[in-house]
Order: sequence, then structure tokens, then C-alpha cells
Amino acid sequence: MRLFKYLVKRLLVFIPLFFGVTFVTFMLIRLLPGSPAQALLGTMATEESIRALEAEMGLDRPLLEQFVIYVKNVLHGDLGYSWFTSSNVTDDLATRFPATFELIFLSILFALAVGVTLAVLSARRPKGIAARIASVYGMLAGAFADFWLALMLIFIFFTTLGWAVSPMGRLDLIMSAPRRISGMYVLDSLLTGNMMTLKSSAAHLLLPVATLGFVNGATILKMTSSTMQEILDSDFIHHSHMLGLSEFKIMGYALKNALPAVVMTVGNMFSFLLGGAVLIEKVFAWGGLGQYVTTALANKDYSAVQGFVLVSTLFAMVVYLIIDLIQMAIDPRIKF
Amino acid sequence: MKRFLKDFLFMLRKDRQGQIGFAIVLLVLLLGVAAPAIVPYDPVRTNPADHRMAPCLAHFFGTDEAGMDIFSRCIYAIRIDVFIGFSGTMLSLLAGIVLGLLAGYYEGVFGEVVMRIADLFQAFPAFILAMALVAVLGNNMQNIIFVIAFVNAPIYLRFVRGEVLALKSRPFVEASHAAGMSDTTIMFRQLLPNSLRPALVQASVNIGAAILLTAGLSFIGAGVSVPTPEWGSMISTGAPLILTGQWWCAFFPGVSIAFTVLGFAFVGDFLRLYLNPERR
Repeated sequence: MRLFKYLVKRLLVFIPLFFGVTFVTFMLIRLLPGSPAQALLGTMATEESIRALEAEMGLDRPLLEQFVIYVKNVLHGDLGYSWFTSSNVTDDLATRFPATFELIFLSILFALAVGVTLAVLSARRPKGIAARIASVYGMLAGAFADFWLALMLIFIFFTTLGWAVSPMGRLDLIMSAPRRISGMYVLDSLLTGNMMTLKSSAAHLLLPVATLGFVNGATILKMTSSTMQEILDSDFIHHSHMLGLSEFKIMGYALKNALPAVVMTVGNMFSFLLGGAVLIEKVFAWGGLGQYVTTALANKDYSAVQGFVLVSTLFAMVVYLIIDLIQMAIDPRIKF
Repeated sequence: MKRFLKDFLFMLRKDRQGQIGFAIVLLVLLLGVAAPAIVPYDPVRTNPADHRMAPCLAHFFGTDEAGMDIFSRCIYAIRIDVFIGFSGTMLSLLAGIVLGLLAGYYEGVFGEVVMRIADLFQAFPAFILAMALVAVLGNNMQNIIFVIAFVNAPIYLRFVRGEVLALKSRPFVEASHAAGMSDTTIMFRQLLPNSLRPALVQASVNIGAAILLTAGLSFIGAGVSVPTPEWGSMISTGAPLILTGQWWCAFFPGVSIAFTVLGFAFVGDFLRLYLNPERR
């Protein structure tokens, strides 16, 4: 019951934010230079045909009226119609969201594995070889531009060595997608037992996941390291040492106490990467959310941009809610 | 001032990483300022006869698709990327400090409104917001600086406001009130110097992130455009050539970014230690 109350409270806080974000996007996108009707019809269009199309799109009405209509439609679950992909924004987002989510989920998993392992190893032996690798890695990874690193990996593993698959899209060109269940190709291939698409989609994920994982692992490493150091220097750890507990057990205690900070970092990463992976998506022609919104911005495709912002804000909210719930589960000091 | 400098150098002498950081940053700034005297070629002159040349003695970093000298362009790009990253960060720091002071000092309605607006803009995906703002304002250098400042200002705003809230009830502030000082005097003479530290440390670290953001925007075509020498757009023109084997077009601008960002990160780490009050 307390949990339910808490969830309701969280949702209530979110409503004004949701309206604010929608409103700002709505106004901001209408400040883009040029008219979408012009962009659709091209430079040869006559003044009248542009006016006529604008009227058809509803762009000739007062801004506030347009906004009210939009909000009404959203509340009915209708995100509008993309003028450029000529399909429902909801459908567009439903195909692109899983592509991006699959990519960033696996990347963050990889980043976590690298970051936390290196942090624990270097906390155990601060002068050991793992600690030295960790410090060099932590320095370098943060300085690389991810899109540049991706290109270098493509040059080494695709152009030169020929080990990696062609960095174009999520599957080999001749292959059709596995039967759609979640929209994430690896998961769907597993569920439908389609070995061919499983192999191909995993191979296409390899380089982008390596890039994003490598770059973001450094953030996790730094966060975990600094928290671990603080904890390993605290009284209760010294006390555990005096009690003669095994090193393994003590590391476990320290890691458990560092977990809230790690979970927080991971949450931020999720909400950042949903749009922030756009550069990697571009390099690998991924066809995800980031690329969708970039194209939509360039084409002044109002509903598409608004739809993206709505979905990403919603996603961020869900992520932060999950984080807070995890924090409560692992840290008994935090109450609802 | 002399004492401050002595203290600073004393700290720096013991910190190898800090030394490297300052050396890199100074070198980069020097190269940027002296660019016209150093570079062997005009950074925007095309020379189709010499296009896609591998690194050699005539062209240290090779030439790109249009035959422009990549070394000259990498050096000239300092004037764009580092300038944008630095001024964008400084502008956001300035805005964040002023707003943070006000929002912390006038906690009531005003502070609440400022914080909700900050929440609102931080709810957007940062990179996409930056892209959209550049698209609305138009992509020239001045606008990119403004956009970087706008996207980052809430970070500093929160740091400064947090410090101000903690300091407000301290005896020295109450004493200032009792002594009849005006609000402005208390804010800028008493609170400001004592609440800057976390924001300053964050800013020194963020310059690197701002440079990466600048390059990222240009890479996707929402920043500085070709033929202006800029690292991100250079990588963008070099991207298709990666598949045909001309790695140098994208490689060297990326190394320039990494080198510069690393320098600023080291300086930031040093400042974090240097400005730590527990050290004294």
C-alpha cells in the first residue's frame, strides 16, 4: 500500500513536467526556420499550393488551438502522423525504439561488466596491474569522441582485417527480420529460434556495442572506484578486517555499499543514450530513434519530433522510477 | 596574489598529471594562436590534384577528399573547437552562478520558478535539445556557444544554489544582515566567493565535454559546416573514406580532440585537488 501511494505521488509530480516538455517542444519546433509545407512540396511549389497544404495540415490555425488539438490527440493515444515517412508516429516510434533500446541496453551491460570489474580489481590491489590498466583506461576513454572510436574500430576490424560484418544496419542486407515480438532482433531471434538472424544481428551489434560500452565503461569505473575507495576506508570495513573476515567477503560488503552510486550512474546513462547514441546510430546506419529525430528535425516533421520527445521523457521517467525502487531495495536507509 | 601563485606552483610541482595537463593545454592554446605562422598550407584551399594523399613529408597528416591539408586544418580547428568549448563553458558558468545565487537567496516563488524551469530543460535529451536549438537559431559559431551555455547552465545553477542554501544560515551571513548590508552586497561579497568551488571544479572538467559536444554537433551536420576547419566535420567528411582505406582523414582530427580533451581533464583533476579545502 505504501508502495502504491508512492507510485501515485511520483506520477502526479510527472504530469506538470510532461505538459511543460510537450509545450516547450511544440513551440520550439515551430520556431524552426521555413514552413514544413514548403519542405514537403519543394522549392518549385507555388505560394497557393503551400497555403493550401498548410491549411490541410492545420498549420493555419492559431498556435494555442493547434496545441490544444495536439494534447487532446495525445491523451487519446494518437501521436499524429509523420509527413515524411507517411505513417503513424506511434508506428514509427514502435519500430525504432527497440532498435535503440537493444543497442544501449547491451552497451550499458558491457560498460557495467568492464567498469565494475576493473573498479573492484583495482580497489583490491591499488598498485597492481589491474589498477594501472584501469587508470589509463579511465583517462583515455573519457577523451575519445565515440563516433570517432567507432570509425577507427570499423577501419581495423572491417576494412583491414575483414573480421567484422559490414557496418550497415542491424542485419545482413539480404536477410529479413525475425518475426516481430519485441522488435529487438537478438531477443526475437532467440524466442523464435531463428539461428540465422540471431547470428547476423549479434554480429552487427558487436562494433557499436563495443564502442558505446568502452566509452561509457570509464564513467562507471570512475564512479565505482571513488565510492569503493571511500567505503574501503570507513570504520566498518576496518572493523571487518580486524574480525578477520575474508577479503572476498569484505569486497562484497564494499561493492554492496557502492551499488547505489552505480545504479544512479547507469540510470543517467540510459536516459542520456536514448537520444545521445544518435552519433553511433549514424555511423552504423542503425535506423534507431536518434536518427529518426535527426531526420525529423531536418525535415521540420513536427509530429515526429514531438513524438520522440514525449517517448524519451516517458522513458526517462520510468528509468528514474525503477532506479529509485532499486535504491530502496538495496539501501534500507531510504524510505518511501 | 604572490602567495596564491607560490601555493599553486607548490601543488603543481608534486602533481605529475597536473603538469602534463597544463603542458597540453598551453601547447594547444599556443598552436591555436600561432596557427597562421605554423601551418604549411591554407586550411581551406582545395587542391583536387593532391586529394586523398597518405601522410608524407609534404603533408604530415595527409590530405582529404578535396585535397585540403589535414595538418593545417587540425591546427586551425583549435581556433574553432577550443574557442567554442571554452567560451560556451564560461558563459554557462556565468549564467549558472548568477541564477544559482538568486535562486538560492530568494528561495520563495522566484527560486521555485527558476528550479522548475531548470528541471524542464534537463528533462529533454541533452544532445537532441542542443541539435534542435542550433536548428532554430542557425548554425554559426556564436549560436553554438550560446546553445552549449544554455544546455549546461542548469548544472552550475544547481551547484551554486546548493552551496548558497547551506551557507545562508551560517553566522557570518547573519552577521552581515545585522550589520545592515544590502542583499546585493551579501550575495556578491559574502555568498559568492564561498559558493563557487564545486561549480568551478565542474566547469574545468566540462570544457572537454563541451569540445566533444561541439564536434558531435558538427559531425551530424548541426554545427560548424565545411569548409571551416573543425574537428567534428573533418571526421564526418573522413567517415566514408574509412571503408576505402583512407584512415588518416578521420584519424587525425579525432586524435586532436582526444589530446585536447585529455589535457583539460588533467587540469580539471588538478584543480579539484587544488581547490579542495580539506587539503590545507
